[in-house]
Amino acid sequence: MKSDQEEQQPSKHDPSRRKFLKGVGIAGAGAAIADHIWIEAEAKEQATPNTMSGEARVVLDINGEKRSVQVEPRTTLLNAMRNHLEPAVTGPKLVCDMGTCGACTVLLDGKPAYSCLVLAVDAANKKITTVEGLGTPDKPNAVQAAFVEHDALMCGFCTPGFVTTISAYLKKNPNPSLDEVREACKGNFCRCGTYPRVFEAALAAAKASQA
Amino acid sequence: MPQQAQPSPSPKPKKKIRVPRVVNGVEQMVEIEVDADSGPGWGPNDKHRLLNQRITRVDGPLKAAGAAQYTYDYRLPGMLHGRILRCPHGHARVTKLDTEVASKIPGVKAIIQAPLTELRFAGAPVAAVAATTPEIAGDALRAIKVTYEVLPHVVHAQEAVKPNAPKVVAEENNLQEKAKNGDPAKVEAAFATADEIVEAEYTSPRIHHACLETHGMVVDYRGGDTATIYASTQGTFTIPEDAAKELGLQQSAVTSSVEHMGGGFGAKFGIGVEGMFACRLSKETKAPVKMMLTRYDEFVMAGNRSAAWQKLKAGVKKDGTIVAMQARQYRLGGIGQGSQAGQPFIYSMGEAYREIYALHTNEDSSVAMRAPGYPQASFAAESLVDELAYKIKMDPVDFRKKNLRDPVYHRQLDRGAREIGWSRRNPVAGAGAGPLKRGFGCAVGIWGGAGNNQCKVALTISRDGSVVVAVGTQDLGTGTRTYTRAIVAEEFGLGIKDVKEQIGSSKLGGANPSGGSTTAPSLSPSVKDAAVKTRLLMAERVAPLLNNAKPEEVVFADGKVSANGKSVTWREACAALPAAGVTGNGEWRSELQARGVHGVCFAEVEVDVETGHVKPIKMVHIQDGGLPLNRLTFESQINGGMIQSLGMALWEGRVMDAQLGLQLNPGFGDYKLPGTLEMPEMVPIIDDDDKREAVIGIAEGCNIPAVGALANAVFNACGVRVRELPITPDKILIGLMNSSTSRAE
Repeated sequence: MKSDQEEQQPSKHDPSRRKFLKGVGIAGAGAAIADHIWIEAEAKEQATPNTMSGEARVVLDINGEKRSVQVEPRTTLLNAMRNHLEPAVTGPKLVCDMGTCGACTVLLDGKPAYSCLVLAVDAANKKITTVEGLGTPDKPNAVQAAFVEHDALMCGFCTPGFVTTISAYLKKNPNPSLDEVREACKGNFCRCGTYPRVFEAALAAAKASQA
Repeated sequence: MPQQAQPSPSPKPKKKIRVPRVVNGVEQMVEIEVDADSGPGWGPNDKHRLLNQRITRVDGPLKAAGAAQYTYDYRLPGMLHGRILRCPHGHARVTKLDTEVASKIPGVKAIIQAPLTELRFAGAPVAAVAATTPEIAGDALRAIKVTYEVLPHVVHAQEAVKPNAPKVVAEENNLQEKAKNGDPAKVEAAFATADEIVEAEYTSPRIHHACLETHGMVVDYRGGDTATIYASTQGTFTIPEDAAKELGLQQSAVTSSVEHMGGGFGAKFGIGVEGMFACRLSKETKAPVKMMLTRYDEFVMAGNRSAAWQKLKAGVKKDGTIVAMQARQYRLGGIGQGSQAGQPFIYSMGEAYREIYALHTNEDSSVAMRAPGYPQASFAAESLVDELAYKIKMDPVDFRKKNLRDPVYHRQLDRGAREIGWSRRNPVAGAGAGPLKRGFGCAVGIWGGAGNNQCKVALTISRDGSVVVAVGTQDLGTGTRTYTRAIVAEEFGLGIKDVKEQIGSSKLGGANPSGGSTTAPSLSPSVKDAAVKTRLLMAERVAPLLNNAKPEEVVFADGKVSANGKSVTWREACAALPAAGVTGNGEWRSELQARGVHGVCFAEVEVDVETGHVKPIKMVHIQDGGLPLNRLTFESQINGGMIQSLGMALWEGRVMDAQLGLQLNPGFGDYKLPGTLEMPEMVPIIDDDDKREAVIGIAEGCNIPAVGALANAVFNACGVRVRELPITPDKILIGLMNSSTSRAE
């Protein structure tokens, strides 16, 4: 079975190249990939040291709102949301910053993606949905409500990632089996030990959404 | 109208009791004085309206919607981002630190050197920077030039114990004797009476807490007389004193705040080295500094569960009585002391002798981790007990009952055997047909879980009907907020939503740090006491409205206040309060809590003898804990204990490179945490046969027996006894190969 992790890789750029860009973070590379966005290169002339940094202004469509933000080409979407947008979007959590834990999961055009592996400049033409865009404490979506009802959260730091992943999955598969739920959120880690109840909550949310 | 003061208490008879105090996650017993008898108790465990029911957590909606604010989420105006530079050698001395280039990078605001120049492990902090963005802080780290004098290191215990091994601490031996208990001569004599003897070595690696929110804090200081620290901590009150010292402020001028925190498991007490840096950078820049460890930092220097190396020997009679045990136990805490419960752990093993040592390596210091020292000791003891049972061909459940005195374990073992389907177990290890072999194992656990008298709770009921219970404690995800509300709501006949809690601030009443499962048994008696006192204060005010009833006759139920055949609504009753409302101050009452929990775990696994792969099928954990404050969160704690144990048993463990002295798996890509695909069927069971009307901490107790249960299940399935955690496929295949070779010979 093709995993969601594979599916969520944006198809235009190969991952090794994106990793390279994040690693070196130079304005020239940022401009090179900015084939579909307006980018304002502001590489500053510095005698020493020469870190070759620069900034770009991008517009991010987050939870239905167009938000303008100044970032470096190397800035990840996660970092842009948490540390550059004003006010910040902090639902997606920074936990590993290397695409291993799922706590930063957002939806890009409806598909789950690790926002720590997506450059902010690459997300500029996509609809970004974070956990905050799925529901609120007073008006939760079915998955959020089920998480509370089934105690599928403890410290809660992994919860935004799980809620986002599962909310997207239930749109794709409204009536999943337990094994399909496990498979769908295998890219998300929890340390407190909520997994059994995450599964319960996902199945209950599926049922509630169909009722 | 002035608020009526609480009636001053007349001198009451006192009694002295011993309670646990947790300092940096390590439990110590201290003697305190409490009232010999005060106020009503909880009442029978099955007679509660809210407590011992399934209450959804009150902070659940915030967390599920991503609206809960964690330390990591704070972003203050003008805030700088801190990062720490780490030593790349297992043991080194800094001879030169050149920050000239780094300090010229635009956006870099401060660079400070670590106070220590001798670095005893790879990952030891060398310097810290503060910059306007996290990316620039990272640039600055890369631009700092450090010259090291590299010193000899040793990272493996089996090497560190040798007389000629490099010294971790120059003036000390790597091996430090900590304790000797028992009489070796008597043990020797007892061994002579044994029918069978098992002698074996058990090892378990360092386990990482892997809290999803890393250690760290935001220091909000701008050069004035006060500061606020937003900390990811298990102890609100473990922050201000040390932060104030670093900032050069009065302790009372520093407030710590812990609204929500992303996991601790024993690792988060005090400001830590990251907090020291954050305060110093903030002091130097006069700007708020956010210093959250990176995931790599978290692995190499934020603490871990100490590794363990245990050499055990035990003798048993054919009737199942263990008559002698001797143990040589090494606590492997890196540059720290490590922890390990003494053998024979929970069991009665006749004559016992043990030696305990701390053995240093060039690794960061271990810290407390959920049941400090117990999972390691339990794994070895439960494996040993299992080996003895097989040796004399006795059922492992019966064998345990024979060597455990406490009848609670007998009850729990019988229940667990029923729940897992122990009768399906093949008594001959590895005898199942086909390559996929099922096996069953069990183990038992113990913990203290008593509270202490540090929680000061203020409960205020206002004229507008609001009910606010305030105390500076912290909620680690254990459900503290929820039961705090529930206790008050229960006392006043209100709903959960009618009560609000204020926690997580050092400006509120004192509270103990959350270590050693002491929070619930410390906090809940104080909350109950505040509720009882406030109820009486309110009854005195409302009684005149109720046909002049006596205050003690006033009944609070179903959102109404009633007496003498008259009833008023909650709002009407509150309107009779003074302008400032009424406030009751709750103190700890020892009789509302107790000490001592028991748990058993049963595991069923499937071992593929062609690949060595272990698949956990089902786990059952039965746990007592006196009065369960909230069944929903109690069960979640049991699940959490089982899952963390599953990780320790099958997958987790730090791997160190001997030559480089570096950790080879400092990230979630290489350090294998339990994930969704590996979850077995999990059955958390609250032991309702425990009738104690007292609150006892249970989080640690849930995290002890499962490792042994899983290891024993693996043996039962395939006949391979893996004595070195984690139980990975290579070890099973080697074990199978060795056993088939020995059969062939």
